[in-house]
Amino acid sequence: MKSFRTSSDKWLLAAFVACIAFTLILILVPVLHAMHLSLFKSESFVSESKWVGLANYVQVLSEPAFWRAFGIGIVFALLTIALQLVLGIACALLLDQPFFGRPVIRGLAILPYLLPTVVVAVAFQWLLDGSLGLLTIWSEQIGIGRPAWFENPLIAMGVVVVASVWTWTPFVTVSFLAALQTVPKSLYEAARVDCAGPWARFWHITIPMLTPMLVVIILLRSIWMFNKFDIIWLLTKGGPLGATEHLPIMAYRRAFAQYDVGGGAAVATLSFAVLSILIIVYFHFYPLEEKDQRT
Amino acid sequence: MKNTEFNRRDVLKTAVAGATLALTGAPAVHAQQKSIRFLNAEPGRESVRVLRVAAAEYEKQTGIKVIIDTVPPDDAFSKTQASIAAGTPYDISTLAFAGHVLLLAEAGKLVPITKLVSKYQWGPRILFPIKGENYWYPYDYNFCWMYYRKDLYKQKGLKVPTTWDQMQENAKILTGDGKFGVSLPLGANAATQWMSLGNMWAEGVSMLDDNFKLILDNAQMKPKVIAYLEYMKKLSPSMPQGMTQALFGTVLGQYSGGQIAHAPYAGRLMEVLEDKAPALVADTGFFMYPDSAGKAQAVNHGYDGWVILNTPMRDESVKFMEWFTDRHYINFLHSAPLHFQPPRMDIYDDPRWRAHPLIEKHADLVAFMKSLLTRNDVIIKSIDTEGPTIDLRPPKMFETFAICDALQNVMIKGMPAPEALEIMSAKYRTVLG
Repeated sequence: MKSFRTSSDKWLLAAFVACIAFTLILILVPVLHAMHLSLFKSESFVSESKWVGLANYVQVLSEPAFWRAFGIGIVFALLTIALQLVLGIACALLLDQPFFGRPVIRGLAILPYLLPTVVVAVAFQWLLDGSLGLLTIWSEQIGIGRPAWFENPLIAMGVVVVASVWTWTPFVTVSFLAALQTVPKSLYEAARVDCAGPWARFWHITIPMLTPMLVVIILLRSIWMFNKFDIIWLLTKGGPLGATEHLPIMAYRRAFAQYDVGGGAAVATLSFAVLSILIIVYFHFYPLEEKDQRT
Repeated sequence: MKNTEFNRRDVLKTAVAGATLALTGAPAVHAQQKSIRFLNAEPGRESVRVLRVAAAEYEKQTGIKVIIDTVPPDDAFSKTQASIAAGTPYDISTLAFAGHVLLLAEAGKLVPITKLVSKYQWGPRILFPIKGENYWYPYDYNFCWMYYRKDLYKQKGLKVPTTWDQMQENAKILTGDGKFGVSLPLGANAATQWMSLGNMWAEGVSMLDDNFKLILDNAQMKPKVIAYLEYMKKLSPSMPQGMTQALFGTVLGQYSGGQIAHAPYAGRLMEVLEDKAPALVADTGFFMYPDSAGKAQAVNHGYDGWVILNTPMRDESVKFMEWFTDRHYINFLHSAPLHFQPPRMDIYDDPRWRAHPLIEKHADLVAFMKSLLTRNDVIIKSIDTEGPTIDLRPPKMFETFAICDALQNVMIKGMPAPEALEIMSAKYRTVLG
């Protein structure tokens, strides 16, 4: 290890340590605090807390509502990640082609990602309003009636998935598009010489070359979508009849509305644990080291 | 000649002295300034203005600064809790939920203001004393009743409904051509529990007995709850779509936009009509939620009030509240003249309050609102205040939104009402313990 001898090196070390410490404080303290809260029974953040050990976990894990919320979270995450990946990669491949106005279209493609979530949610709510929504009225005009966007559990899940996909697909597009620029053009030229078509070039050159980037994108999208709270809360608040209530909404409801701070913290901690396990399993099958081996 | 240059030691000394002063002196300076931090949860422009004017006047008279922070009503308790947890609690806060008052009082965070409250006579079901002490100063009853379009009634030759059948029939007749008979929210939220349960209360439903035991599904209540759920299902064809998303503003917009013929709300609806749809003002009437047989009427209540927190400024806060409720209470009520329904009975006879142009203009509505407090045949209920005394269990029931689920199960999923009642009761029992 390089020793820090000069003044500049020492400043660098100090800044590095400060950043790490700051990050740890911002991440670890809330996590540990949530874990701490989950071991107590408390009706609010100002009420007297009573030590109950793992009782909150036992209670939460014994509730069918927890497992239902867990399943809903998995379904929501899988659907949104799959759609974001497929659409994001397709858009990236399109935007990688030369065409007139490409820089402008590339700029516009990221627009949904720049919009605040609350704006997206309000826009979707207005579009799908049962009485005055544009899409509702159009649906009626084309003869399929007024869909029960937020009343039917399946359609409500569809709405939150579509809103999420519309908002966060540009992240995949931009990431994949940037990675595409790193693939040597000579590989494609060589493949063309070997008469490989576009599909073959995509599967045998693009995807293998960009696997490390895909691993990171899938990882990030998994974490974000599994923990995604704002868009669902703003659109459906977990309804109808709990059809879109996943673990983050359940944790929020328990801790901040249903006078069960410990239970809410237990749900949040369990959610954190599940996600951590999923990430470990994911890295076991798709280790990032592959990139180093390839390069 | 004296050397005036700072050396490193001087700099260190100065820094240490400064830090010491900041740590020890700052609170003293803060205390000398005597500021009261007031968390307001009425974000209306006029309400904020009234509070700021009062704060400026109080500072001028006493030298004590009153800092007004404003948050949306739903955020008031969270912000109050956060301020306590952060060690910088507000001195006065606004709360809109009896359970929150109870939680803070039981945690020793509130100052009893029984002496202040006892100066006046109050309406029923509003003070919620805790162990004989009053901890909050209410300023609004937030009753919810039904409004209807008098002009449409006249056109169709309808009468104000006194039974569920009449209401259903009126709503059905007034539905068509893109217009709907009635709008009752159905989402799992507070709007539904404020606006859509009045008929159930009118039917004589109680959720808890005197021991806080759930009686919703006992032999006496079960038929009433089932009848209510089935009545709501019959009403649903007369409602606009998307009622699970409907919130307070939705209903205001639907009625003021002429889309619906009946709307549940408090005085705010008339204020909105005065502002946005004045043509509808004269064509709007009101009535209480009827029961099925035409024998009883009910309103759902909410409530808002101020609490004084147990801070080093508590004595000053009590003095401020004494002064404010004496000098500016009516001004504050005037900031939403028809919506803030006074819980203090003396206000109704106070010429200063009655002098507001909207209160004068809507004397019939104001008389109706007062009658809700003086008539002894009016049922006043809300889930969170069920039971013999104020207790945390009913607010917990309120937050499960189990009755909203029952409405959705019956009206959207087509579940038989008895089954929906069973599920609802089971959910309530999980929080009642």
